[in-house]
Amino acid sequence: MINARAAFPFDLVIMLGDNMYGSQQPADFVKKFEQPYAPLLSAGVKFQASLGNHDRSENVFYKPFNMNGERYYTFTRNNVRFFALDSTRMDQKQVAWIDTSLQQAREDWKICYFHHPLYSNASRHGSSVDLRVLLEPIFVKHGVNVVFSGHDHVYERLKPQKGIVYFVSGSAGQLRKGNMRPTDQTDAYFDQDQSFMLLEIAGTELHFQAISRTGKTVDSGVIRAVGAGR
Amino acid sequence: MTDESGRHAADQGAGSTSRRRRLRQRVRTTVPRLSRFAVEHLLLLPLGALIALVWVNTAPESYYRFSFATSFAVNDVAMMLFFALMTKEVVEATAPGGVLHPWRRAMLPVVASIGATVVPALLYIRLVDALDEPMLSLGWPVSLATDLALGYFVARLIFRPHPMIPFLLLLGIASDALGFLTLAFFNPMREVHLASGVLTLAGALGIAAGLRLTRVRSFWPYLLGAGGVSWFGLFRSGLHPALALVPIMPFLPHAARDPGFFVDARPDAKDTLSQFEIWWRYPAQVALFFFGLVNAGVPMGALEWGTFGLPMAVIVGKPLGLLIGAGLGILGGLHLPHWVGWRELIVSGLIAAMGFSVGLFFCGALLPPGQLRAEMSMGVLLSLAGAPLAIVSAWLLRVGRFRTRPGE
Repeated sequence: MINARAAFPFDLVIMLGDNMYGSQQPADFVKKFEQPYAPLLSAGVKFQASLGNHDRSENVFYKPFNMNGERYYTFTRNNVRFFALDSTRMDQKQVAWIDTSLQQAREDWKICYFHHPLYSNASRHGSSVDLRVLLEPIFVKHGVNVVFSGHDHVYERLKPQKGIVYFVSGSAGQLRKGNMRPTDQTDAYFDQDQSFMLLEIAGTELHFQAISRTGKTVDSGVIRAVGAGR
Repeated sequence: MTDESGRHAADQGAGSTSRRRRLRQRVRTTVPRLSRFAVEHLLLLPLGALIALVWVNTAPESYYRFSFATSFAVNDVAMMLFFALMTKEVVEATAPGGVLHPWRRAMLPVVASIGATVVPALLYIRLVDALDEPMLSLGWPVSLATDLALGYFVARLIFRPHPMIPFLLLLGIASDALGFLTLAFFNPMREVHLASGVLTLAGALGIAAGLRLTRVRSFWPYLLGAGGVSWFGLFRSGLHPALALVPIMPFLPHAARDPGFFVDARPDAKDTLSQFEIWWRYPAQVALFFFGLVNAGVPMGALEWGTFGLPMAVIVGKPLGLLIGAGLGILGGLHLPHWVGWRELIVSGLIAAMGFSVGLFFCGALLPPGQLRAEMSMGVLLSLAGAPLAIVSAWLLRVGRFRTRPGE
């Protein structure tokens, strides 16, 4: 990520949950987060986290995650509104909140991110269909453009489902090699090495690039915002 | 062969024939009774759970649409009947001849239940942390649950009539009661507004007391009047409305003597509580079937190591906690029933590890849809391993029907 930033100076990182494995004592936040990401943190890159099932509930208070004590929250960057959700506990209050917040959003881009994927073709976990039944109608109704999730330790880009592009980017921290079972929903995938994603949004175009641990581009493309400004 | 030896052989033959006859007689009386109990109290819930498991793993989208559409009607309304009938058993048990009569008899199981709930709960929180799923610790109250009907069935299989059975039932009632209390005070799903809830509930209790004072014999006014107000009060207050009839049932006039735990009311019984049971016994079983169907659907892909935290905690923690709790009770001057020792307590702890119906109810009440609930629900299903483990440990420890008599 540090090498990639030399070529593409990003200033925002969204985290898709399971941000830390194993012990999560204060010293672990230094060892497992602050030290590895020190060059990015010192350069002023802002991290905006969502939580996964391996995180602790109290991690919402960890300052560098910028969650301000909230399990789910929204923020804006120029013409993009991001929605970070807590997919581990999708209670009625959160469902009502995302419905209302998406309805009120006036930005060109509405991007949701959370840990459990609504669509995934990895064999270990696969799609979280219960969450899909709850959330997909709301996303479709309010014109969400792109959804990012983790949980399955692979990279997968799905063909647009009801107009929404879904990414599974869950292999930045851990890899489950060879775990993908691509179906006709799958547009691209990579399960042979760890990977992360770079995104750039310019007007109504979102450029994405999935990069492996060795720096190889394993997937890239452009998504155009349909109905921008709705 | 001499006459003497021939007579001896004939005596032996007659002895074994009579033993076989006795065994046949016992099987003839015991099996229909227990199998009828299984059909009436146990089969529909596992059937619903089994269908849910197959359905969610083959057609998940249709399963979740059905489950989300019906969960309120099943969990918050229909399950009132199940908890009402469980409360009926407890109310009757306070009458002469019941396991809760006199109340002093319940002291040791109640004290022991503190150990049998605290130890598995602490163990559970440590285990899910060690298994790297700390978020699962939110579900700790599920480790308190004990399925009374299933526990009674397995206990009867192992102990036959034995003083351990009322002890185990009391232990289960006390553990579940503690579980319901924790649901009220440690529930992240519901915002509790106790003041308005207490006021409405007081109104419901007033109606029930008025009906009792005016000697109303029909259960309908208790159910629709007092029960309706109680349900509304609990729902508004954020407490679980499925418990609406629990405070109302003690007001229903009941028989002077307890017919026994899980002994069905006679069809000609005239008291209001028995009439309630006769009317609602089978609808409650249908509610349990749908409860299993709506709540036990766990996709296999949702499982992680943390899933095993609950079964491990209850299978190790309940017998251990029960031993500790009973030990403290004995130190405090209480006495174990006759024929109950540490071996019987270990076997009973394993039986009490099965949360099933109450465990699934706690999962649904505590956790919203998603991975945590799926893992907890599967953990509850895995806690059913308590039954075979109890039978094996009873055999190893020579407890109940496996007890070796002196000289054998």
